[in-house]
Amino acid sequence: MAKEFNVPPVVFPSSTGGNTSTIGPNQTGTHQRRIPTFTPPFQPSNPNPTQHLPFMSFDVGSATASSSFSAPVFSTGNGYSTGMGGGPGSFEDELPLLEELGINTRQIWRKMRSILNPLKVNPNLHADADLSGPFLFLMAFGLFQLLAGKLHFGIILGWVVVAALFLYVVFNMLAGRDGNLDLYRCVSLVGYCMLPIVIFSALALFVPQGGVAVFILGAIFVIWATRVCTRLVVELASCGDEHRGLIAYACFLIYTLFSLLVIF
Amino acid sequence: MYNNLDNQPRLQRPPLVPQPDPFSNVFYGAGSGLIRDGLGAYGERFLGSSSEFMQSNISWYFSNPQYYFQVNNQYVRNKLKVILFPFLHRGHWTRITDHVGTRLSYKPPIYDINAPDLYIPLMAFGTYVVLAGFTLGLHGKFSPEALSMQVSRGLFGWAFEVMLLKGLMYYLGSSESPLLDMVAYGGYPFVGISLGVLVRLVWSYALYFVMPLGCISMGIFLVKTMKRVLFTEMRTYDRHSSRQHYLLLFIAMIQFPLFYWLCKIGA
Repeated sequence: MAKEFNVPPVVFPSSTGGNTSTIGPNQTGTHQRRIPTFTPPFQPSNPNPTQHLPFMSFDVGSATASSSFSAPVFSTGNGYSTGMGGGPGSFEDELPLLEELGINTRQIWRKMRSILNPLKVNPNLHADADLSGPFLFLMAFGLFQLLAGKLHFGIILGWVVVAALFLYVVFNMLAGRDGNLDLYRCVSLVGYCMLPIVIFSALALFVPQGGVAVFILGAIFVIWATRVCTRLVVELASCGDEHRGLIAYACFLIYTLFSLLVIF
Repeated sequence: MYNNLDNQPRLQRPPLVPQPDPFSNVFYGAGSGLIRDGLGAYGERFLGSSSEFMQSNISWYFSNPQYYFQVNNQYVRNKLKVILFPFLHRGHWTRITDHVGTRLSYKPPIYDINAPDLYIPLMAFGTYVVLAGFTLGLHGKFSPEALSMQVSRGLFGWAFEVMLLKGLMYYLGSSESPLLDMVAYGGYPFVGISLGVLVRLVWSYALYFVMPLGCISMGIFLVKTMKRVLFTEMRTYDRHSSRQHYLLLFIAMIQFPLFYWLCKIGA
């Protein structure tokens, strides 16, 4: 303990081990005396190993003994405030919630607007499928049905799943080897094209039930939904053009089924 | 380990509910590899569909389902005409054979009006479900549960027809027809049934005219088709036996109660 080391000993077999006689590379002999413990050069003297200490340099000599105890305090304080490890203080650095969940509201709104136009269809918007838009639509559909007195949430969910499976099977079988419609995108498309039916269910609240007007409105909205869905499916999956009528009939069946929920 | 797994799939029923997982391909790769080993000679040629779900779950048990969906608009239109008015079909009823390798196979539906397909039965069943919903609704009895009940009834009717046809084939000695062929033939009556339900929506007494016509047409269609199927797969000395003819007549007769049961929706 009272030994004086110039430098942590670099053992060269040829050196004559003159610890005391050779002067260390730092030429600061006085500082060397203050090293409290003998540790190998690459191991830091770490009073608390769990703290993130930014060990600056190997020349421990520059970190004097007096400051070597105060330095950890400062460095750990720095460590926490700069967000290392994400401790209790780093709330500002997390991603916003919607972004973290992957819900891109602007994209959903854009896709909605593109479906609202029954005559022109923009397939590029729908190339990346997402399920949060359909989820919103299905919730809205359920809500409007609830306002009409029918509790159909679970039924809507189940029917959407079955309908998407149906369309997936039919399309992939018809398209053959080139069909690249995967189930995720299929559910997303069926869900987005549900928008006209959602609007229909909202309008059907104001129309007398069982009258002719409901049927006519239903026919219009179902044809709208079918048209949009067929176009999107054919253009996104890039090979179904010669089967357009066949796919259109499948979509027509699906949306008629949902409109039955609204009408009756 | 793999030998055991090979034998097991032949005894198991294929899973009816698919579990598609578009994000991970690992499982499907492994599953279809095993199944491909078990199939042996079938191999690459018959796993024609692109989606991995179809490959791993259905293709080893049934014959290639892709074959039944090679349809186009013209085929669908003509086939519907043949189904509804089989007495007007002037041509022959045999399927055109396709010489691919050594195996006997038939030309796909695009080229051959007499080939069975699965698109029309599937769509006809869907139409039946939707029309049943309309009928229930117009009588005031619509509820999603009632509609599900009608779906179950329809599926049961379809399965019954398939079993009947398949049983007939076994009984008469030829068991080489693929199951999906029978599923297709069993689904064709739904075209007539849907028409019956539609007509009943318009005027309830019209059913009494349309239904016998529908039954007879379907009977003729099935008898002619089955006769051809039987003839291609039976030994020559068994032809023209009266047992065959009685059984074919039985198939035609059974259409009547089936149609009646399925067309009577709720009311």
